[in-house]
Amino acid sequence: MADVQTAVSAGAKRKGISFQRALPYLLSLPALLVCIGILIPFVTAIIYALQRYNLAFPDSRAFIWFGNFVNLARDPAFWHTVVVSLEYTALTVGVELLLGLGIALLLQERNWVNDAISVLLILPLMVAPAIAALMWKLMTNPNFGVLSYLVSLAGVKDFKWGSAPSSAMFTVVLVDTWVYTPFITILLLAGLRALPKQPFEAAELDGVPRTFVFFRITLPMLTPYILTASLFRMLDSMQQFDIIYSMTQGGPGDTLTVFQVQAYLEAFSFSNIGRSAALVIVLWAITYALSTVFIKNWLKLRARAHGTT
Amino acid sequence: MSSRKQKELIRAYYENKIGRRELLERMAKIGVGAAATGFLLNATATKTLAAGGPDFKKFKGKSIKLLMNKHPYNDAIMKNLDNFKSMTGLNVTSDVFPEDVYFDKVTTALASKGSQYDAFMTGAYQTWKYGPARQIVDLNQFIKDPKVTSPTYNWNDVTAGLRASDAWDGKAGSQLGGPGAKQWAIPLGFELNNIAYNKRILGELGIEPPKNLPDLIEKAAKISAAGKGYYGVGVRGSRSWATIHPGFLSAYSNYGLKDFTMKGGKLTPAMNTKESKEFHKMWIDMIQRGGPKNWTSYTWYEVGNDLGAGNSAMIFDADILGYFQNSGDTKEKGNLAYMPFTANPAATKPTPNVWIWSLAMSQFSKMKEAAWFFIQWATGTENCTFGAVNADLIDPVRDSTWKVPEFQKRLESYPGYLNQFQKSIGQSQIYFTPQQLFPEFTTDWAAMLQQMYAKEIPVDEGLDKLAAGLQRKLREVGI
Amino acid sequence: MNKGLLRRAIRGVLLLVVVFFFLFPMFWVLLMSFQTNQDILRTPPSLTFTPTISNYVALISGEIQTSVGTLPVYYMKNLWNSAFLSACAVALSLALGVPAAYAFARFKFRLGEDIAFTLLSFRFAPPILVLLPLQLYFQDIGLYDTYLGLVWVYQLITLPLILWIVRGYFEDISPDIEHAYRLDGHSWFKSMWKIAIPLARPGIAAAGLLAFIFAWNSFIFALVLGSSDVQPVTVGSLAFMTASGIQYGTIAASLVLSVIPTLVLALYTQRYLVEGLSLGAVKG
Repeated sequence: MADVQTAVSAGAKRKGISFQRALPYLLSLPALLVCIGILIPFVTAIIYALQRYNLAFPDSRAFIWFGNFVNLARDPAFWHTVVVSLEYTALTVGVELLLGLGIALLLQERNWVNDAISVLLILPLMVAPAIAALMWKLMTNPNFGVLSYLVSLAGVKDFKWGSAPSSAMFTVVLVDTWVYTPFITILLLAGLRALPKQPFEAAELDGVPRTFVFFRITLPMLTPYILTASLFRMLDSMQQFDIIYSMTQGGPGDTLTVFQVQAYLEAFSFSNIGRSAALVIVLWAITYALSTVFIKNWLKLRARAHGTT
Repeated sequence: MSSRKQKELIRAYYENKIGRRELLERMAKIGVGAAATGFLLNATATKTLAAGGPDFKKFKGKSIKLLMNKHPYNDAIMKNLDNFKSMTGLNVTSDVFPEDVYFDKVTTALASKGSQYDAFMTGAYQTWKYGPARQIVDLNQFIKDPKVTSPTYNWNDVTAGLRASDAWDGKAGSQLGGPGAKQWAIPLGFELNNIAYNKRILGELGIEPPKNLPDLIEKAAKISAAGKGYYGVGVRGSRSWATIHPGFLSAYSNYGLKDFTMKGGKLTPAMNTKESKEFHKMWIDMIQRGGPKNWTSYTWYEVGNDLGAGNSAMIFDADILGYFQNSGDTKEKGNLAYMPFTANPAATKPTPNVWIWSLAMSQFSKMKEAAWFFIQWATGTENCTFGAVNADLIDPVRDSTWKVPEFQKRLESYPGYLNQFQKSIGQSQIYFTPQQLFPEFTTDWAAMLQQMYAKEIPVDEGLDKLAAGLQRKLREVGI
Repeated sequence: MNKGLLRRAIRGVLLLVVVFFFLFPMFWVLLMSFQTNQDILRTPPSLTFTPTISNYVALISGEIQTSVGTLPVYYMKNLWNSAFLSACAVALSLALGVPAAYAFARFKFRLGEDIAFTLLSFRFAPPILVLLPLQLYFQDIGLYDTYLGLVWVYQLITLPLILWIVRGYFEDISPDIEHAYRLDGHSWFKSMWKIAIPLARPGIAAAGLLAFIFAWNSFIFALVLGSSDVQPVTVGSLAFMTASGIQYGTIAASLVLSVIPTLVLALYTQRYLVEGLSLGAVKG
């Protein structure tokens, strides 16, 4: 990078040093401005969160500062939302990671069959999650749904899919897995294929057992990819809206009232802007903390990768 | 096909020289079919409306935009829209959204204070939010103003209970349609809740239609247990207000139960009284033993589909839902019948809760008077009759329309439909207590029903919890 | 040898199960799209039925037959909206993001990492956080129900993604070639345009494709901020739930149609997708 800087400054001496210093800012500024435009609503949302603001009570609009947050903390429904969101995230990330890794290992070898399958596996990723939920809802319909039929053939009578608290979480995790596992698979597959060959060749020569190879060589080298995949998915799952809202609107009962579903209901059905804003701010705080951890670690890993490559 | 002859006939009709039946017969003789007659009639009638007082052509060449739900009522309006356009010279465009997202769309559109939409379809419950939020217009000012309302509009022809249900003064606990109430919307078409049943299935099993709720529960359980692949009675169960307001609240009110009472001048939740708990236990028992398997995901569509496909023997829901399943190309077409339902064995008359699709005017519209012309026309006698006879604007909101012979004739292929209406209409109104937090409360109520159904919480405890929660929310907003 | 054969067999079976799990729903929906409503509602479901293309005809011609008569259908417009919005959003993001990515990769400037971090963190902002205020004053700034407004909001989805992946690609490319090019006397702009960008093409293609997919799949932004003029297919698919019955066959056909554009695009650039996700996102 230093070389480029010298070259740049050499050319820049003609245009003046200030231009050279300004250049990177100029290049990145348009992108920043567009996103700053999004910052304004963000600030507004914070203001709403600090107010008692319900559209149906326009005269009661007032600043109650942290009142909304205190009310949330006192509300058992809020903590239930936290627990359900975390549960959903843990399940989806866990399942998708294991499944994705497994599939990636199966497809590791480069041959036409594996390549064809990897292409086919992109398909679920193309389907919008809201539409995927609709698809699965049709398939799990107790009357004419093909999955209900197949499951009943296997002897399980009246499986309730999304309609019973016991199976609702299972159903939405299933849909999420169907949509997003290919994403993880592709990521890990690329990682597997990019791994250097020497350690594996050496291990084979030495007659090292396969499990040892997997756990002590493959897995550690795959860690950056695994980290990226799981953190990316973790942040998306915490904010899941489309799938859960399309399938059950948060039900049955309170089984699936994750953050964004509840916030959507508060804002667009109950017109309680203040409380909805507070809810999303809490969600954002959680995702911000997690993404900070992620990006800092990513930078560290990248630096390390640069050092070793 | 002399057009002059047609005009003569129609004029004679309007001057009461010939009756409607004679008109249709004579029109048929000169080659004009019933639908065409209806259209012409409407055209003339629209002219009559126009001949009234107001200058309907005042906004000639301008445009208004509507926000409508994807619904047969909207289709009925669109079918007849040309008459409105020729009467006023207005351009009318409309945005149609599917019902799944329609209400949220209206809330967003109003919240954004946009002047895009001038008038829109809504239910009465939603106006309990929009009215106090100052997002819609009190239409009393237009109805009472002869400069904008034709003398032939006949506002009193709209069923009294429906007119009242769309009016509220904004104070928690006030009666709907009481003194000082603001008319937030005008009724367009409504539904009352009764039982529609499959004659074939009941006949097969040798079961008579149920007389009251305990009877319904037993019979539904019996039907489900017959093991023939169908279940007893379909009711809604999704996590939303839509689950509470049809059959559930109709039966609830028949037992004399209320959602809120006034205690010491403040609204107090009343769903945890002893009688209410008994009722809830019965309702849940009914679903568990005789209801649909995936009840918690059941909406209007699922309940209707099951009846039409022969998967359920009865439904306790909107009468028009049962009506639609007896038309078109459903499997059980021709096998369905309708009856009024008095849930409480100790009561003498049914007390159905009603859902009224109505038209409201946005406070932010820049064409309010033109929007009123539209609302007036769409809810006027002529369009109401046209829609009832030639399209699917049922149940019509005007008393006169129910007496129109063609409409009654149309209902003949729906056995018991007219009868269930006539037996119920006197007691049909909205039985909810109006308050601004309606969506939230009914969602909480539905969620609690789901939990009790899944046996996650016992009924007594669940209702106490619900009442306590609602109480807290009421106090938080100061009502 | 036996052990190897056994291993190969197990691998094959497992792969078959995997493929079945992921592709069966699509296959079934494809089947449903060729069935009439009555066939679909039959219990139990069966594989034998008389195929019909009436669902597709309804979507493409814009009219659907229901028990209450013919209703208009705007699905083709929804498809066009989706395509237009996604393409514009991605084009804008590329125009803004590639130079910015270049800046972050090639220059070490103060606030550089901070700006990069801020832009990346937008990816993780909950959509409702942005929607709540926007729905209240999008109208005031005249962007409600406009393509421009939606394309702008879509930048939240597409820009950070493109920035992230393309930056990694630029950093991967050795600066030596550019260095030589610059020493020949060319400007930084030419250096970026003629050397760096072509070299990073796989990454840019992958990033563009991913961004297109995510923009295409978004649901809640269009739902709240637009009227039916600008509705994409995600919201449009809901239109087949009518009060007089759900048109399952048409829903299935609409699902199939909604997947085709992104699928075609993905197949065309699938090679880049794998590379782009891996190298750009991780190795850096």
